[in-house]
Amino acid sequence: MSHVSDTIPLHASSQSDIDEIENLINTSIQSSSSTVLPARPPSPPRIPVSASPFIQSNLPPLQPKPQSTIQKPPSIVPSAPLPPLPPSSGNSAGGSISGTGFGSPPNTLTEPVWDTVKRDLSRIVSNLKLVVFPNPYREDPGKALRDWDLWGPFFFIVFLGLALSWSASVKKSEVFAVAFALLAAGAIILTLNVLLLGGHIIFFQSLSLLGYCLFPLVIGALVCMLKDNVIIKVIVVSVALAWSSWAAYPFMSSAVNPRRKALALYPVFLMYVSVGFLIIAID
Amino acid sequence: MDPSQLKLGWDVAFVFLFKVYRPPGENYANPKTCFFHVLFKAGALAFYILSALFFNSFVIIFVVTVLLSALDFWVVKNVSGRILVGLRWWNEINDLGESVWKFESLDQESLARMNKKDSWLFWWTLYITAVAWIVLGIFSLIRFQADYCLIVGVCLTLSIANIVGFTKCRKDAKKQFQQFASQTIASRVSSTIQSAFSVV
Repeated sequence: MSHVSDTIPLHASSQSDIDEIENLINTSIQSSSSTVLPARPPSPPRIPVSASPFIQSNLPPLQPKPQSTIQKPPSIVPSAPLPPLPPSSGNSAGGSISGTGFGSPPNTLTEPVWDTVKRDLSRIVSNLKLVVFPNPYREDPGKALRDWDLWGPFFFIVFLGLALSWSASVKKSEVFAVAFALLAAGAIILTLNVLLLGGHIIFFQSLSLLGYCLFPLVIGALVCMLKDNVIIKVIVVSVALAWSSWAAYPFMSSAVNPRRKALALYPVFLMYVSVGFLIIAID
Repeated sequence: MDPSQLKLGWDVAFVFLFKVYRPPGENYANPKTCFFHVLFKAGALAFYILSALFFNSFVIIFVVTVLLSALDFWVVKNVSGRILVGLRWWNEINDLGESVWKFESLDQESLARMNKKDSWLFWWTLYITAVAWIVLGIFSLIRFQADYCLIVGVCLTLSIANIVGFTKCRKDAKKQFQQFASQTIASRVSSTIQSAFSVV
């Protein structure tokens, strides 16, 4: 899709609270100026996208109002800001969830569609890097998936299902359906498990994390698709399994009471082991 | 696939393609956006209904339908919501580690200036899609096809998520406007009183 020309650009500021809006309303009424306040810089974990500051030229052309005092109509109310998107998210919802939803500089609402796509894609990549690969933020798991999104997990689950289904010689549909349902339901149940153990996690953040930790298993499944030797498969899957569990460990363990760590971690490990078995056993 | 379901499928497709999408410039302010808004929804539904004629493989049906549905979710949330009705919603996790749902809307004037046909199309296609998925879900439940229930479940979740998100966003926008309106009135009254006293 090419650039979509907005006839009515959205206003944006950096805070989304109603208080902030009321402050701005008061300021605008008192000062009777037709300018919009500049936005604050984004918070650290976000990915800066379009680095241009809020430009007044984004105001809609029909602002011919004289500088009267109180009849200031709400035309300068900046609405709440900068969405990194979820999905399901997705969004989700996908992740989502959406979602999802996944701050950023104020121009994201008037950006062309291609920018939104690029921003979401880069968020998937950065989330993946944060979760699966070693990086300095791993000690603080709350920071790791601050911008959760469900698109990455969605693609990984579908891809894993496709890989498993392709390797299967019979009953391809059922393999795919089972793999998808197992992973999706498993992620939800694992999250509920942590919540019921009295842990402090956010539902979608945990879904997102468990989905991203599937990445090593996806790679393992790809390799197993290409090579048919059982011993190689076992080795590859064990390595992938260890990597997945290592990726999921800090987040899950910090979410619960230390005495219940094992209770929270064991089902995760079990799920990844069962997926590993699916990968090995498919012929 | 029995003939009645097939006819239903064609009817749905016709309604979407010929009654909802009008040629550009006729009545809609953003015809391209409207088209894309409807395209993926209709595509997912049509593919799901008609695919059993052409494909034997469940996997392809699943992947394509869910992919179209996910694309539709993204388009509605990010593009057509912004452009057709001026609303946007997302979820953030603040510094305390709590999840916060954020809603955003255009100011009242711009909202009033939005094309009525655009927003009519936006909301009605959202609702119609969800109802269509529910009906299809009932069909597959009746036939005890758990596989197809899975597809319907995923697509329904995505549709409902969008509906809930945008409805909350619209309510939030109305609430904000009412707050602003009452505040404007309050400040106007107080300044009138002040000017009255200054004259005295």
